[in-house]
Amino acid sequence: MTTVLAPVAGAAVGLEAVPDPVFSGGLVGAGAAIDPAREPGRVVAPIAGKIVKLHPHAFVVVGDDGRGILVHLGIDTVQLRGEGFELLAAEGDRVSAGQPVVAWNPAEIEAGGRSPVCPVVALDAEEGTVSALAEGRVCAGDELFRWG
Amino acid sequence: MPERQVTVKAEVGLHARPAATFVQTAAKATLEVTVAKAGGQPVNAKSILGVLSLDVRQGDTVVISAEGEGAEELLDRLADIASAP
Repeated sequence: MTTVLAPVAGAAVGLEAVPDPVFSGGLVGAGAAIDPAREPGRVVAPIAGKIVKLHPHAFVVVGDDGRGILVHLGIDTVQLRGEGFELLAAEGDRVSAGQPVVAWNPAEIEAGGRSPVCPVVALDAEEGTVSALAEGRVCAGDELFRWG
Repeated sequence: MPERQVTVKAEVGLHARPAATFVQTAAKATLEVTVAKAGGQPVNAKSILGVLSLDVRQGDTVVISAEGEGAEELLDRLADIASAP
């Protein structure tokens, strides 16, 4: 059982609320999404493990059991080429659950015409293994869902 | 082993939609399928974690390999996805 933490503060919503069919259609995998508070914030690691990929707009943490979680900061934010994101960790770093990885400001993302919604995806999760999805307001580091 | 070598043309590389479509197509097959960056270690093409971790960028060359019944057709489909602009 993996407990996955909310990487950002905001409102927990379903993946189907993400305005990108790659995520809302479950193509990447099961999980949840957070409509983030529109204020500067730090994005934290959803699980303990190694940052196997770190882009300014997205990162993947893999736990010791080999399970990976993708955190994507906003939609189409790859187009920003890192502008507005500050890296607080490095690719290859080991992080504890709740440790800050990136700083950003969802209000700026939205002002730039993009959705700041953050999909949090259990990569390669088998069907029906993601449960206990949080609803409503969450703080960064609160439990977001479980991966059984 | 049958393989295809293709250059990734999508601006986002093998991430987001191209990666998801690639993995979903591979996962439907019963064959073992791997993908590697040219000269690199192959990963399971059915794993979104594996494919995202490869970090294939636009302009990178990937090698997709599979063996067994239907491998050629599957590789053609995967090569099309990986090389789509």
